[in-house]
Amino acid sequence: MRRSTRDAAVTSVMLAPAVLILVVFVVMPLCVVAAYSFAQRDAYGGVVPGFTLENYSQLFSGLYWQVFVNSFQLAAWTTILCLLIGYPVAYFIAFRAGRWGPALLVLMLVPFWINFLIRISAWVVLLGRNGLINGGLTAAGLTEAPVGLLGTLGATLVGMVYAFLPLCVFPIYAALQPLDRRLIEAGADLGAGPAETFLRVTLPLSLPGVLAAALFVFVPSMGVFAIPVLLGGGKDIILGNLIVQLFLEFRNIPLGAAVSVAMLGFAALGVVLYMRALSRIEAMR
Amino acid sequence: MSGRPGWVTRRLVYGLPGWMTAMAYLFLLAPIVILVAFSFNEARSTVVFTGFTLDWYREVFADRNIARALRVSLIVAAASAGLATLIGALAAVAITRRRFPGRTLLATGLAAPLVLPEIVLGVGLLVFMSFSGIRLGYGSMIVGHVLVTIPFATLIIRAAAASLDPRIEDAAADLGADEWQTFTRVTLPQLAPAIFAAFLLSATLSFDNLVMSTFTSGVGTTTLPLRIYSMLKLGITPEINALGALMVVANIGIVLIVMGRYLPLMLNKPRPVEPERKN
Amino acid sequence: MTTRYKKSLLAATALALMPLGAAAQELNIFGWADEMPDEVLADFEAETGITVTFDTFDSNESMIARLEAGASGYDLVNPSQYAVQILAGRGLIAELDHSRIDTIGNIGESFTNVSYDPGNKYSIPYVWGTTGLAYNKSCVEGEITSWSALFDEKYAGRVYMLDNMLAAYIAGLQINGFSANSSNPDEIQKATETLIAQKPMLAGYNSTNFADLVSSGEACIVQSWSGSVLQAIETNPDVVYVLPEEGGTMWIDGYSILGDATNVDEAYQFLSYILRPEVAAKTTELTKIATSVLEARALLPEAIASNSAIYPSDETIANADFILDVGDAMKFYQDGWTQVKAAQ
Repeated sequence: MRRSTRDAAVTSVMLAPAVLILVVFVVMPLCVVAAYSFAQRDAYGGVVPGFTLENYSQLFSGLYWQVFVNSFQLAAWTTILCLLIGYPVAYFIAFRAGRWGPALLVLMLVPFWINFLIRISAWVVLLGRNGLINGGLTAAGLTEAPVGLLGTLGATLVGMVYAFLPLCVFPIYAALQPLDRRLIEAGADLGAGPAETFLRVTLPLSLPGVLAAALFVFVPSMGVFAIPVLLGGGKDIILGNLIVQLFLEFRNIPLGAAVSVAMLGFAALGVVLYMRALSRIEAMR
Repeated sequence: MSGRPGWVTRRLVYGLPGWMTAMAYLFLLAPIVILVAFSFNEARSTVVFTGFTLDWYREVFADRNIARALRVSLIVAAASAGLATLIGALAAVAITRRRFPGRTLLATGLAAPLVLPEIVLGVGLLVFMSFSGIRLGYGSMIVGHVLVTIPFATLIIRAAAASLDPRIEDAAADLGADEWQTFTRVTLPQLAPAIFAAFLLSATLSFDNLVMSTFTSGVGTTTLPLRIYSMLKLGITPEINALGALMVVANIGIVLIVMGRYLPLMLNKPRPVEPERKN
Repeated sequence: MTTRYKKSLLAATALALMPLGAAAQELNIFGWADEMPDEVLADFEAETGITVTFDTFDSNESMIARLEAGASGYDLVNPSQYAVQILAGRGLIAELDHSRIDTIGNIGESFTNVSYDPGNKYSIPYVWGTTGLAYNKSCVEGEITSWSALFDEKYAGRVYMLDNMLAAYIAGLQINGFSANSSNPDEIQKATETLIAQKPMLAGYNSTNFADLVSSGEACIVQSWSGSVLQAIETNPDVVYVLPEEGGTMWIDGYSILGDATNVDEAYQFLSYILRPEVAAKTTELTKIATSVLEARALLPEAIASNSAIYPSDETIANADFILDVGDAMKFYQDGWTQVKAAQ
């Protein structure tokens, strides 16, 4: 009896800060945004309180369909590439790097302490017509004249993977690192090949991390706005660009809020799927 | 044991993560070389190289705006990452280890800032804060950055807590450890690498954050990214590259310190192979 | 490690919550970086004993969003012309009391009756420039003098437009012979069609690193703000900035006092100070941007006073419009621009 009361108290103390910050600084502002999505705007971009569904009908009028498709495609490609590159890296850091693991993790974040714009301008130099990559291609005889690499989907994807790779490596590393090596050794002792051990033991055990990684990369990818503009030429806009444009440039906060609510619904689906998968994995233990 | 072709495949498969890691680090660090090179550029350009100079480093140290912005950024990064990691760790452990009503809801809620475009959360937060009379400044910006980083902190620690073997904790309890002892002596050490990873990632994301800062900064709290973006109208100079190069040096310094801590251990144990680490 | 770390956390939090020291005289300015040199601010502080906090923003739009929320804590703000209209329309900036600015007579005549703020009621025009185009001589044949180069198939894949609705429509409207501030729906529609037709030949829309792109030869021609390419011109003699014969536009960044400013006296002192010819000359010399104080030009070194990218000739700017807030017609622009951006 006393034990369970104490238990409940401990749980409350552990949860209080998280709940407080969520309710005050996420739920309340979100209510503001949701309320705005039903409001109207005046000539100077002020929000006029009221109730209208006009913003939503405008949103689903077809003009914005392409934006949703662009966003989904870009996010999907980015996630796939990040997972394919990020998993082996996380695996190496967790299992093979030994004591050097933490150092490698810090090293992975080093580029991010340099301002984003400067990082991207390095890629402008690398991918440009007079850049190293074009130089390499020409020297290898693959191309005769420099190719326009900037302003393509490829350039956008390079920038996206560059930006999101650590967000993918970290959760996978965090899931792999505490795994019991004896389980893995046991797989090997029972005569399973490395591929089999990996597929039947390591990968399933690290799935929570993989799921978190996919979520970390996929959802924020849709809200990115600078990379498609700086490296991809900004001709295909995605949800991130649309929201920035509506909120700031057009000062149409109600429509921007409606797009945000739609995106929120869309992304909430992803989170729910993730949470469900995670609970299932946790329940299996 | 197996035939030679199998041995070759095994070597290849075994070597794959190593090769991929090397490639990934090349991909991440190659642009840094370019960045550092341009910090010595004579011309005011970050794209066209004309000649060598150290002037930009002189300017970084002379520029009081940059110094001020850097200080603001570092304070906000340290405070928000600390808070996000602390709050996130507590919540993550509670979610994986304890039963309470609304567990899934809270878990989902903590991931929510992630799925919201930052600008939406930023605008909402700004309106809400000015409505409730909160003065914009360090406090508001730290809160904003905590919101941006807390999903990462929580999910990383949660992923780690989920892969822990609960039987180890049960064993500790069976051996007479109370709850607090179990937590500090068994759970926490196992989670330490994840907490470290969460803090690092949070601090980094905060340091590079632009959108949330745009809406939550107040008088005297212009962060480095805010400063740099407002320089865009007239073009960014290699001064920012020089600053970046200095940050890289500082970060490599951290790497060396981290390694320095582990180096003596490694010298004592020439081959720190995985299974031995358990002891 | 954890306790030490918790302690530093506490210290940082305490620091964050501490009220900022209330000095006797202070002034909080929200402005563009690099348009107000540190030297000028330091001189002002030395002369008056007022402590200046100068915070920066990256766009008029994000600045408006911040001020709109209220209680920003700033005294002076540094908006561009259309932003003055929005801020005044939203009641966020105060009417100026000209009798408290003793140097107000130094403002050049052409800046005293600007269309966005007749009689400088809400803002003191300070630095100004133009919106035109920049090109790289090494990949363009002959001289470029017209917006039409941005629509020339010859340069397909090597042209960038500014990623900004108002800026893109300057070209779209002026090439069709309309005013850059048109509020006629048919004219705006025509401009929208022109911009949609242009999209397939563009390398992209960019208002961030376009100067680098044209300087490195990645782009041949870019639509551009005058101030943004000055550095590129300095670095690379192949880069040329022109105000097109169709007109182009002028931009002005001025200073306004916020409606809820607390340091109003200090704000007026600052306005009086920056309008002195020697101070304005120092501003232009250090930032390479022209000011509204005409007498300052005579105090400048010849290289700056005669630089046509900084001081375009009177004939060239006679054609240039101001970009204004077009009020209700804005809807037509926004619908059009959304169509342009969504077009494949």
